[in-house]
Amino acid sequence: MRRERSRDEKTPVLWMVIHGLIASAIGIGVGLAIEWFPEQASTQADPIDHLYDVLIWTSVPVFVTVTIIVLFSVRNFKMRPGEEQLDGPPIHGNTRLEVIWTALPAIVLVVLCSYAWIVLTDIEEAQANEMRINVVGQQFAWTFEYPQAGGKPIKSTQLYLPVDRPVRFYVKALDVIHDFWVPAFRMKIDAVPGIETRYRVTPNRLGTYPVVCAELCGLGHSVMRATTRVVTPAEFNAWIAERKAPVAATADGEIDGKTLFTEGNGAATACSACHTLADAGSQSQTGPDLDEALAGEDAEAIRQGIVAPDAEITEGFQAGIMPKNYGDTLSDKELDALVKYLAEVAGK
Amino acid sequence: MEAGSISAGIALDHHDDHHDDHHGPPMANRSSRVSHEILGMLLFIISEIMVFGAFFTAYFFIRLVAEGHRWFPFEGFELPVAIAGMNTAILLSSSLTMHWAQTSIKNGNRFGLKAGMLLTSLLGLTFLFIQINEYVHIGFSPQDHAQGTIFYGLTGLHGAHVFVGLTLLVMVTVRAFRGHFTPEHHHGVEVPGIYWHFVDVMWIVVYTAIYIV
Amino acid sequence: MVARLRGPGMIRAALGTALGIAVSYVIIFIMRSWYDLDPVLDGFAVLELSLFLAPIGFLIGLGAFDYWFHYMSGRPTRPEDHSGHGAKTWRDYFRVNTDHKVIGIQYVVTSFFFFFVGGLFAMLMRAELAQPGRQFVDPNTFNGLFSVHASLLIFLFIIPVFAGLANYVLPLMIGAPDMIFPRLNALSFWMLPLAGIMMLMSFAAPGGSFASGWTAYAPLSVTAPEGQVFFTIGVQFAGASSIATALNFLATIITMRAPGMSFFRMPLLVWANFSTSLLVVIATPFIAVSQFMVLFDRSLGFNFFDPVDGGDVLMYQHIFWFYSHPAVYIMMLPGFGIISEIIAVKSRKPIFGYRMMAFSLLAIVVLGFTVWAHHMFVSGMQDWIRVPMMITTAIIAVPTGIKIFSWLATLWRGVLHLDTPMLFALGFLSMFTLGGISGVMLAIIPVTIHVSDTYFIVAHIHYVLFGGSLLTIFAGVYYWFPKMTGRMYDERLGKLHFWTTFIFFNATFAPMHIIGVQGMPRRVADYAEEWAGWNLAISIMSFFLGVSALIFAYNMIASWRGGPRAESNPWRALTIEWQVSSPPPIFNFDSLPTVVGGPYEYGVPGAVHAVFKDAEVPQPAGATASGAGRGHGSGSAEDKE
Ligand code: HEA
Ligand code: HEA
Ligand code: HEC
Ligand code: CUA
Ligand SMILES: [Cu+2]
Repeated sequence: MRRERSRDEKTPVLWMVIHGLIASAIGIGVGLAIEWFPEQASTQADPIDHLYDVLIWTSVPVFVTVTIIVLFSVRNFKMRPGEEQLDGPPIHGNTRLEVIWTALPAIVLVVLCSYAWIVLTDIEEAQANEMRINVVGQQFAWTFEYPQAGGKPIKSTQLYLPVDRPVRFYVKALDVIHDFWVPAFRMKIDAVPGIETRYRVTPNRLGTYPVVCAELCGLGHSVMRATTRVVTPAEFNAWIAERKAPVAATADGEIDGKTLFTEGNGAATACSACHTLADAGSQSQTGPDLDEALAGEDAEAIRQGIVAPDAEITEGFQAGIMPKNYGDTLSDKELDALVKYLAEVAGK
Repeated sequence: MEAGSISAGIALDHHDDHHDDHHGPPMANRSSRVSHEILGMLLFIISEIMVFGAFFTAYFFIRLVAEGHRWFPFEGFELPVAIAGMNTAILLSSSLTMHWAQTSIKNGNRFGLKAGMLLTSLLGLTFLFIQINEYVHIGFSPQDHAQGTIFYGLTGLHGAHVFVGLTLLVMVTVRAFRGHFTPEHHHGVEVPGIYWHFVDVMWIVVYTAIYIV
Repeated sequence: MVARLRGPGMIRAALGTALGIAVSYVIIFIMRSWYDLDPVLDGFAVLELSLFLAPIGFLIGLGAFDYWFHYMSGRPTRPEDHSGHGAKTWRDYFRVNTDHKVIGIQYVVTSFFFFFVGGLFAMLMRAELAQPGRQFVDPNTFNGLFSVHASLLIFLFIIPVFAGLANYVLPLMIGAPDMIFPRLNALSFWMLPLAGIMMLMSFAAPGGSFASGWTAYAPLSVTAPEGQVFFTIGVQFAGASSIATALNFLATIITMRAPGMSFFRMPLLVWANFSTSLLVVIATPFIAVSQFMVLFDRSLGFNFFDPVDGGDVLMYQHIFWFYSHPAVYIMMLPGFGIISEIIAVKSRKPIFGYRMMAFSLLAIVVLGFTVWAHHMFVSGMQDWIRVPMMITTAIIAVPTGIKIFSWLATLWRGVLHLDTPMLFALGFLSMFTLGGISGVMLAIIPVTIHVSDTYFIVAHIHYVLFGGSLLTIFAGVYYWFPKMTGRMYDERLGKLHFWTTFIFFNATFAPMHIIGVQGMPRRVADYAEEWAGWNLAISIMSFFLGVSALIFAYNMIASWRGGPRAESNPWRALTIEWQVSSPPPIFNFDSLPTVVGGPYEYGVPGAVHAVFKDAEVPQPAGATASGAGRGHGSGSAEDKE
């Protein structure tokens, strides 16, 4: 038995379209109002965010169309008492409709892809006067190298960038895959062992932004962070000049343990990347809190902890996270300074 | 695919003995002319081809894509093309003897079946033996470099397939000598036969990719 | 006693397992002394070999191979007496059973067990993520939790539960007395619990469970602690199981359809499983090989992924995603089939555009193989691959859209029965659309460059897998519950389950889109203070979501034990599985049905899909019987007697 076409069927379509338009308008409004992205700090960010807005404009109506048809079908065609044995009309298809709903999404998608392609070429375009920076990822820290004409590159665990100067990052990994991501720049790429990957950005806003490792790389993945400082060209040059001077040396030629701790020496990763130490102002939790762990320990024990970290594993932590090569990457003098510094300040 | 259903309507009973207290299943309809054993084997071979496909992907990346890629000969390592070529001939002739065994049983020639199976197994065994001998004398190991890895990977994967194929062949041989198989019923020869032909064809691809190109 | 030891069953299986381990010790001892290695017995080497041999020992002991051994050794095989068919007591579910209905239930129950375990891990994860900093687990355990969570839910739940449902209903739907290879079917099932237990056991491994995500990217998985091999090897068993089932489905569909059941008279569930099985047979070997390569690199020092010695790291991802993208359709297409069944029946209308529904499935199968690198947009692969992959990825939305719109057109002007299966089906329509749309956003490369590896991906995953696959699974389980158990489920609890799931699902996963774009990376145990509020809300909502799953569990268990008896066809459906009793008779049919029309002719006066004639089916001359390797409707060959 079939249900009679008793209920008015013209109005539902009209009503549905009206509701759909309203719902789409609201949805798009909400979609655009949401604070989706972190702040924009590069010329790449704007076209990407704009593209995202376009996606909201197209997606919301698609979702609303499907949902509104479901809701109106429920409202208009649900079985009412007494209709238990009835069937709907045996409609098997409609070629015209099927062509429309094949062609329409195809067109929309092709247009979207073309636009995306334009944005992609735009954000990846080579710029004049690009600065090269090498980015090296290793478990679980970043090192940034600034090649110097006719000299050793300057190494840093913080990323300094002059504003409005195009940069090109050359990204490498020493152990497993990492991913170099600065959310404020919107760009990321994997650091892959064995190959060099690259991308370009032009920072255009002064400020401090996080650098994030976005590819699972092991225990310390969630703490593999660094900082980007976008500074004025003058500040940047001053920083470079300061960096060219011998590393971690105070004015009187002494090696400063605290600087070593917070910034490393270029070859050796900064301890602050993983350890909490009140005096140095670091709060990372990958490794033990040194204020607790080293309180009351003598210099020899501390040295042992740095050179052979896995000889004794601190309760609650895992072997293999702390690099085992500090004995090589730190010179004897540097090691002495570091141990002295730690013995003085830890737990105080 | 439509063609498959044309033959619908022929039903095959497959079980003779119906116990009194056991009510057997109804006869299944056969909706395709292809026998299910052969179809199953063909589908399995598709999977097998993809297994090789994945290893060939690795081969492609290591030989052509990886940074600093290179291929034999390097550092004085050569691949024994001639010996492997001879081995190829051995394996190919085993396909012929397999075919002989298959046609023999179809024609009711039991001697052909037994001799064919025996020969095929022996040829397969020879192939495997020569392959192992090659491993022993080749002079590099899979641990040395990625080229070694993929060399051993592909030939070893194929070797494993030869081994599985051989196991099937030996079983068929045993059954042949026990008097199994008839001209009407010889799927037990045919299905392993298909597998063996596949192993042979795969070897030609492996041989070409590794030793010749 | 001796008979019980020698006969197939759990006792012999335990012996087999022990023997497998013992053999591993012996082999490792022989091999290592041969090569003069020190120590002669390396614990990890024994462990890895045991992970292969113990399950095989178990399966042999259980009796999964008895018949084949019998056959292969050339002994005469006994004619079948069908004593292994069907289940009379609960014990029959714990042996090698060749009845597709028993296997179907074994599959569904086992995979739901792993759903609850995987879900429990999600709860632990959400507890840890409720606040920034460290709450309950250390980073390594956290990494292990989401890795096992995803692996269980993908390999031990979504994929096999679909195989289980299809196992039960597909032979009935095409009018076949069983699957074509019933022993292979039993073997496929029994590999599953082994794979799942293996993955769970990894928590006991030194260094903790495998923790490199369900994607197990090399070289992290190559250098990870020993727990990793539990994944590497577990996947082999799960994969072998799904290949064997797929092969079985394909051969069954091709060779065993009832008279008159042409391809275009097959229910869409059958079409969906046909397409899925094609994907499985072609794609699954790739993940098996990718994991073998990891294992070789780890344990034997091979260099597939070692860049220093000429290996290639990105190769892993190409091979992995060449499987795992098609795998996401393996996890979706059977769901599409379920939804087609339910929407047609519950709207009392024929499926709109039946042929396009079938063709769009095949289109997805083909396109599915051309898009794998969309997971690698930021992986550093060759730049030129990206744009073609973006276009093919986006184009997949077209056949999927055809399906969505056809379902909507099927609803239109129908007589909608809004009971639990239908509610889930409707919920699926809108939620999967949302997940698909975020998928299309991910195809757009400039956006993906920013959101890849963030919670936006996690949101996409759960909208397609939970809002997509899982809602169809719930729909399917409710829909066929009367058929499978012979009892009705509790409709009130079913509706409650739907509404709680629907609401808390959205409350849990929708905010993840926002925090993802804002920059919260995925796979982290700790995050910046700015997302604390959102994460707390998400965690609380997820606990309610967990409770909603408990409602489902209660409803199923209680109704199975004490629900009212179900009629044979409570939904007035036309497809064949509803034309037999609930649960169906032990051999499905007394005589085969003959198919005379389409499966969804609702509203067509006098239309039927299949008729049962008691007439003799013609028997061709010369059809001989021989138990050897023959398929359908057979029993296990037991050694005793
Ligand atoms: C059931 C599983 C499933 C399904 C069906 C899909 C479907 C899709 N997925 Fe998804 N995906 C996953 C599971 C799934 N995915 C998982 C698990 C991951 C993460 C893996 C990991 O890294 O751990 C992932 C990741 C993932 C990525 C990688 C992101 C990254 O890591 O950077 C991308 C990128 O393109 C993507 C895209 C798509 C697309 C385009 C579809 C399309 O098929 C969707 C098509 C459907 C629709 C679009 C809706 C209906 C259509 C219409 C109503 C027509 C009109 C529509 C438009 C005009 C837009 N997915
Ligand atoms: C089918 C697939 C599926 C399903 C159903 C789910 C279900 C859930 N998932 Fe999962 N998830 C994945 C597939 C799935 N997930 C995948 C593929 C990943 C990626 C992993 C990777 O990165 O490698 C992922 C990752 C993932 C993450 C990100 C981890 C990270 O990147 O750091 C999170 C975080 O919230 C999450 C949460 C949840 C929650 C809360 C549920 C809930 O829906 C679960 C609800 C169910 C239950 C809760 C079980 C029933 C209840 C009980 C057993 C009783 C206990 C109840 C209480 C204590 C209240 N999942
Ligand atoms: C990538 C992370 C990481 C870096 C970088 C790192 N550590 Fe560690 N450190 C750890 C972890 C994890 C442990 C605990 C496990 C262990 O003992 O090996 C640890 C342990 C220690 C210990 C032993 C604590 C004890 O209880 O005795 C000392 C001392 C120490 N680190 C000092 C340093 C110093 C100094 C530096 C910098 C030169 C540094 N660490 C750099 C992660 C790191
Ligand atoms: Cu480095 Cu994550
Ligand atoms: Cu994909």
